Amino acid sequence: MVYKNIICPVCGGSCDDVQVNLDKENGTIDVQNACKMGSAKFKEVVSSHRLLKPTIRENGKVKDVSWDEALEMAADILVNAKKPFFFLGSETACEAQEVGLHIAEYLGGLADSNATICHGPTVMGIQESGMVGATAGQAKNRADMIVYWGVNALESMPRHMSRYGVFPRGYWTKRGRFDRTMMTVDPRVTPTAAASDLHLQLNPNTDYELLSALFTILNGKEPHPSVEEITGIPISVMKQTVEMMKESNFVAIYVGLGVSSSYGKHRNIEIALNFVKEMNNYTKCNIGALRGHCNVAGFNQLASYLYGYPFGLDFTKGYPRYNPGETTCVDLLREKDVDAAFVMCADLMDHIPADSAQYLADIPMICLDIAPCPSTTAADVVLPGVIDAMECDGTFYRLDNVPVYFEPFTDSPFTETKSNEDTLKQLFAKVKAKKEA
Amino acid sequence: MEALLNTGSTIDEGRLAKGGSKYTDDYTKECAVCWMCAEDFTSLGCPEKVAVISRDRKYSVALSTKVTEAMRSGQVFIPRSIWANVVVEPDTFSTGSPRYKGSPVFVEPTDDVILSAEELVTKMYMGGK
Ligand code: SF4
Repeated sequence: MVYKNIICPVCGGSCDDVQVNLDKENGTIDVQNACKMGSAKFKEVVSSHRLLKPTIRENGKVKDVSWDEALEMAADILVNAKKPFFFLGSETACEAQEVGLHIAEYLGGLADSNATICHGPTVMGIQESGMVGATAGQAKNRADMIVYWGVNALESMPRHMSRYGVFPRGYWTKRGRFDRTMMTVDPRVTPTAAASDLHLQLNPNTDYELLSALFTILNGKEPHPSVEEITGIPISVMKQTVEMMKESNFVAIYVGLGVSSSYGKHRNIEIALNFVKEMNNYTKCNIGALRGHCNVAGFNQLASYLYGYPFGLDFTKGYPRYNPGETTCVDLLREKDVDAAFVMCADLMDHIPADSAQYLADIPMICLDIAPCPSTTAADVVLPGVIDAMECDGTFYRLDNVPVYFEPFTDSPFTETKSNEDTLKQLFAKVKAKKEA
Repeated sequence: MEALLNTGSTIDEGRLAKGGSKYTDDYTKECAVCWMCAEDFTSLGCPEKVAVISRDRKYSVALSTKVTEAMRSGQVFIPRSIWANVVVEPDTFSTGSPRYKGSPVFVEPTDDVILSAEELVTKMYMGGK
C-alpha cells in the first residue's frame, strides 16, 4: 500500500513529502523522495537486524527476557541508583522525552539529550545575546544569500539545500538557485563548499577571530592585520563578504558544529548572533542552527517549557538546576558523577569521548533502541524501540523550532507497547510502585 | 605528526548509521578512516594505516588512511563515529559539548589492527567483557 506525505524522522529537516510503499506480506518497502539517510531508516521497518526482543545481561551473558522482566530490571536499576542519569535522545518524539523528564524529576536524577552534545553551545550563545531567527519557509521565500558556516549541509541534512536553502523557487527568489548567492565557511573542502559561489577556507578554531574581523569591517573599521595569518583569510575577501551581505535583500545564515564545537564554543555563537543583529541595520539577516539529529530542537523546547532550562537538567536537589559543564552528559560521565544510566533513542556510547564512554560502560545501563549499536552492546537491559513517524504518532520540532505532528503508516511491531512513550509510561509505573512500596 | 582533528558527517556514514548498520564492514570501511592531504601522507611515509592518538596520549585508535584534496596540511578528518570520538578532547569548556572540531591529536604510522565498532566497544570500553 502507498502512503504519501510521511514525515521523515531522521534529521532536523523533518521532510514531510516522503512516499512509502509498504508490502507487509513480503516484508518489503519502497521509499520515494527521502535522501540516502532517510531511506535507510525507513528500511528499518522491515530490516532483519531490528531489535525485537528485550534482553538483559546476567553474569556477563545476554539473554532474551519478557517485556515485564526487562521493565522490572530497568526499574530496579533506576530505583536503586543514588543519582540516575537519563539521556533522552533525539530520535523519538517529545511525548516520550516528556515522560523521561518526569521520571528523572521523580527520582531526583539528571536528564540531558543530544541537544547538548550537538548544539548545546549554540543554545548558550542564544541565552547570551538573543537571536534574530526565521522559519525555514521565510528563508526559502526571501533569502537571496545563504551562508553555511561550519556545516556541511549536503551530508548532514542532505535535503536542506533543495527544500529550504538554495535550490527551491521562493516567492522573492523565483529562479531558485539563480537568484541566490551561496557561501560556505569551512576549514575543509566539503561537497557543500564545492557547490558554493564563495568558500572561506578558514583555519580550524578561528571562527571567533573571523567573526570579530567581519564585525569590525561592518562597523566601518579596519581589522588588525594579524587576523589574516590567524584565520587564513585575506582582509580583502572579508570586506567582499561583508559587502555581498549588505547588498543582499535577505541573508540566511545556518551554523553548524564547526562554530559551536570548535575552540570558543558558545562565544563563537554569541559573536555570530551579535554580528547578525548589527547586519540588520543594513539588510534583513537571520541565523539558525542546522540541527542534524531529528528531534533535538524538541528536547530544548520541551525542557525549557517544563523546567525552565534547555538541557543539562539536574533534579538532585528536588528542583531543576542547570549548570553546563557540571550537569551535562559528557561531564557527568567523565567525572563519574552518576551511578546508573537510561539511554533512549540515541547511540550515546558512540557519540561521547572515550573517558565518558568507558564510565558509561561501567555503570548499570538501560538502553532503548531499534538496532544493535555500541550502546545496546554495553547495556545491561535492552528495550526494543518503536520507530516514530512510521509506527506511532507524536511531535517533533523541526530545525527552525516549528512543531511538526506526525502520523504513522504502520503499527508498532510489539503487542506490549504502542510507542516509546507507552514503554516509558510502563517503566514509570513500575518505578513508582517500587519507590512507594 | 601533530594535527588538528576535525570530525563530521559523511553521507554514507549517515546512511549506514541511520540504517542500523553500525556493525557491518561497510560502516568500518567508511568511518574508521583518517583523511589527510598528500603532503602529510608523504611526510608520514605513505602508511596504509595510522594511529590517531589523543593529546594526553591516553587513547589511540588505528585507522586506514585516505588522501584527499579536501584537507590542508596539519589537519585530519575522521567521519563522526565511535572511532573519532576515542580521541576527541573530552573537556567541554563548561558547555557540555566536547571538542568534536579542532581537537589536537598525534598521528603516527601503525600496524595495529583496525577494530570494528563492536570490537572497539567491547575491548576498549567494556574491558574485554
Ligand atoms: S534531509 Fe533529513 S528529514 Fe529530509 S529525507 Fe533526508 S534525513 Fe530525512
